[in-house]
Amino acid sequence: MKKVLIDLKDIVKTFDGQTIVNHLNLQIYENEFLTLLGPSGCGKTTTLRMIAGFEKTEAGVIIIDGKIVNDLPPYARPVNTVFQRYALFPHLNVIENIVFGLKNSSYASKLMFYGEDNLIMEAQDKYPNKKITKHLLNKLINEKIYQDAEYAIKLVNLQGLEYRKINQLSGGQMQRVALARAIINRPKILLLDEPLAALDLKLRQNMHYELKEMQRRLGITFIFVTHDQEEAMTMSDRIVVINDGVIQQLGTPKEIYNEPVNRFVADFIGESNIIRGKYIKENEIEVLNKRIPCVGYKFAENEIVDVVIRPEDWDVVSLDKAVFVGKVISSIFKGVHYEIIAKVEDVELIIHTYEEVKVNDQIGLKVDPYKIHLMRVAQDE
Amino acid sequence: MNKYFKKLAIPYFVWLYVLAIIPFVIMAILSFVNNEGLNFSKAIFTLDNFGYLTTSSTVIAFMNSLFYAVIATLTCIVIGYMVAYAIFRSHFKNKFLVMTILILPMWSNMLLRIEALKNIMEPHNIITDILSKLGIHVSLDIAGTPLAVIIGLISTYIPFMILSIYTALEKIDYSLEEAALDLGLTETKKFWKVIFPLSTKGIVSGSIMVFLPCMSGFAIPEILGQGNILLIGNVIDQHFRNMNYNLGSLLAVVILIIILGAIFLVSKFDKEGETLL
Repeated sequence: MKKVLIDLKDIVKTFDGQTIVNHLNLQIYENEFLTLLGPSGCGKTTTLRMIAGFEKTEAGVIIIDGKIVNDLPPYARPVNTVFQRYALFPHLNVIENIVFGLKNSSYASKLMFYGEDNLIMEAQDKYPNKKITKHLLNKLINEKIYQDAEYAIKLVNLQGLEYRKINQLSGGQMQRVALARAIINRPKILLLDEPLAALDLKLRQNMHYELKEMQRRLGITFIFVTHDQEEAMTMSDRIVVINDGVIQQLGTPKEIYNEPVNRFVADFIGESNIIRGKYIKENEIEVLNKRIPCVGYKFAENEIVDVVIRPEDWDVVSLDKAVFVGKVISSIFKGVHYEIIAKVEDVELIIHTYEEVKVNDQIGLKVDPYKIHLMRVAQDE
Repeated sequence: MNKYFKKLAIPYFVWLYVLAIIPFVIMAILSFVNNEGLNFSKAIFTLDNFGYLTTSSTVIAFMNSLFYAVIATLTCIVIGYMVAYAIFRSHFKNKFLVMTILILPMWSNMLLRIEALKNIMEPHNIITDILSKLGIHVSLDIAGTPLAVIIGLISTYIPFMILSIYTALEKIDYSLEEAALDLGLTETKKFWKVIFPLSTKGIVSGSIMVFLPCMSGFAIPEILGQGNILLIGNVIDQHFRNMNYNLGSLLAVVILIIILGAIFLVSKFDKEGETLL
């Protein structure tokens, strides 16, 4: 059983009478990479800011590491944030930015951070003939801070840029400084607020890998906010899909992709065809006026359901083997595959295939029973 | 740049040449010659004027100017920063309006304001009259003292300081403050480590805007100092009034060079030139 590090209980937040976060409950474990995923304005950043302490909760409790932190200011929480636009201090250079937090903490908290006993032992080793004074310990702490900074710089691959000014850095470098500045404090939790949004695609993909690797190595909990589902898929241990301040689905990337619980999740995570159908009986559904087999869902007989079929799950087959026959409306080459839009029974379907198909052609389609996902139709639809 | 847009600046350039550069050249020439009034017919080249720079009355006036300007600037920094910070932190919906109200006095005539200030500083004035009618006998008898001049300088020029510090504060990205708190800094530390360093540009530019007119102005010391306090501006003023254009010009040129030197120094420290904007 994993240990719960953050427990959000029934969190509510409104701005100007508009509910941004609506009775949110979420448990976040130690050492996991959790992503809050949703469209802009869904409340994911607000949730993150409430954990960090920048926003007050209206109702509910935030427990971090067994302690209620609702009334704690940001500086008293065991949390560090990587901001969306990095928020690096323009009057300081790279290394000064990185040591900023440690250097400006009080003497008492510095002693606690490095362990007073350890420091005294080290000081005795290093200066055997000297009396251990506050001044001496401070000197030692300072050395340690800069050693830590060097380590952090190495971790984020910024060697050689220590004395650069912030405005002389590229977006990717700033991103790394922001990361180093946060992790040097060894927080239990690192909050990342769309940190990759300003980077170009290639850099972003590299950072995906590096962030995941860093999280594994440091062994701290990462809470990552993004609206980019691909980003969420590649990095996360678990994904929380949020819409209108309500958690839609919580699960591993695989669960979320393969078994979306509702129309919103299915639509938001990747492309998908969501078609109204009918659950005839066990292992059989009716969709697009055809009865086809399906596997592993339990609904009432003759219940109306939403049938989800991912574009890559369609098989394009010759017309005589086809279950569905459609007319190609458009066909676009996407590099690896063709994206085809075909009309079957007046429903437009998105299909990914490796072979070229011409517009206005007839196309035969089939789908593997295992790849069909069924969802209960929402009450309000 | 488009040729058409270049032409838009012509009126200003004409103005600049006629009213600033040509007079300056004339002043520069005047400080190297010895003539009567503006009559150049008997002018002879001389360096005698420079001897005047080291006479004790000039040196005292100069030191006075420096002293008053420094005191006024430092006080303006302290008070101005507090005011600007208070507005910056306030929750007014329209902070610009508040700033406008604060600098409203700047829109009235400066001489008028200073005369009014002098009036209040004298032993008998409208306020003391009203107060004595109410049985309160107090009066502010400081007209003609150094304090009066300093108060005059501060009250006249502090809006520049407030404005430029406020502008610098307003430019600070709020996420920097959040970042500081996030990294474990308390509110006080956040101020000294993030906000104050990032607002120093405002202090520098405000200081220039306060220091220079304090240094070279002559109306305030003359009116509020009532002739007791002589700054370099008053000395120049006297020379010009006495038609001694040579010495007046020389002093004016020296002051101008000092001012240019100061601006040059500041621009050295601030390569992006943000301070002077």
